Amino acid sequence: MGTRIDHVALFAIFSSLADNKQAIGRRYAYWCNGAPALEAAVAAAAMAQDEIGHARTLYPLLDDFTQAGADPRQVDPQTRTLYYHLAFLDEDFRGWSDFVATNFLLDTALTTFFESAQRSTYEPLRQRARKIVQEERIHQMHGEGWVRRLARAGGAVRAALTASLYRLWDETLCWFGPNDDPTMQQLYREDIINALPDELRSRYLHKIMPTLVGLEIEVPVSFNAGTKSWDPAQPLPWQNWNSTGRRFQEATP
Amino acid sequence: MSITSENEKPQREKLNESRVWQVYARRKYDEPLHEIGNVMADDVELAKVYARSIYDEFGWIEMVLVPRETIVTVIAS
Repeated sequence: MGTRIDHVALFAIFSSLADNKQAIGRRYAYWCNGAPALEAAVAAAAMAQDEIGHARTLYPLLDDFTQAGADPRQVDPQTRTLYYHLAFLDEDFRGWSDFVATNFLLDTALTTFFESAQRSTYEPLRQRARKIVQEERIHQMHGEGWVRRLARAGGAVRAALTASLYRLWDETLCWFGPNDDPTMQQLYREDIINALPDELRSRYLHKIMPTLVGLEIEVPVSFNAGTKSWDPAQPLPWQNWNSTGRRFQEATP
Repeated sequence: MSITSENEKPQREKLNESRVWQVYARRKYDEPLHEIGNVMADDVELAKVYARSIYDEFGWIEMVLVPRETIVTVIAS
């Protein structure tokens, strides 16, 4: 082991990214034989593999930081007892619509973060970000495709989709943190990422809103014609936000 | 699938794919595209995802999809 780097923000963000990728992969894996079609099941298996692969490239980075010394068990997913994934992922998906919502909303949010780190001054993140962004393109196509499928099916299928999207909506938007989030502020100051939380949220909404608007799925955002950007239409529920875990204290019911 | 409860069958049937895509691919520039299989998907973007994830056994240099209904039979078998 070489010299460790003292960097609270990188340690915090890698803990969150790795735990979320790991949890997404495990939840996806559960649906490898439960998807609505054989083709979708194979795609779910491939995406589960990708997500767990991303987690496996992120966890070893934790050991590069001084902060890992406080509790060495926390740098290995086999011994880790802290779970900094979204509260939405605490429990099994209730149905295929939860899979689709996670794929479409959360995975895309994490990809938005990695896109902001493709020119990062921290090389280990830069390398991983580029590869993850490349692999995530097909995940995004899958998420958008299934949102269209479920929404256009109408009736109870569409209702299940919108319920899943709403349950995950606030927590996903909060993952980027408030704009004065110390972790993101430090990463931005040091050119590790190229945007602050409000800008990241806006970039994220720019990616997902065309699909939702096209399907007339209403979510609490507003379009600013002046800046041509989407922003949350109401204050996010920060009272439920745990900044250490970058997650809600309790999942949205 | 637990997408619905009381009307499970009709709701699930709404998600049945009806469109078949023939998948063609090649591994080398000096070989022609050849049929490697098919996928079912009503959404073309999903068809692309399925083709890539199912037929990932080789490092293809090209892969295309052809909707089965556009194929014109000249000599029927």
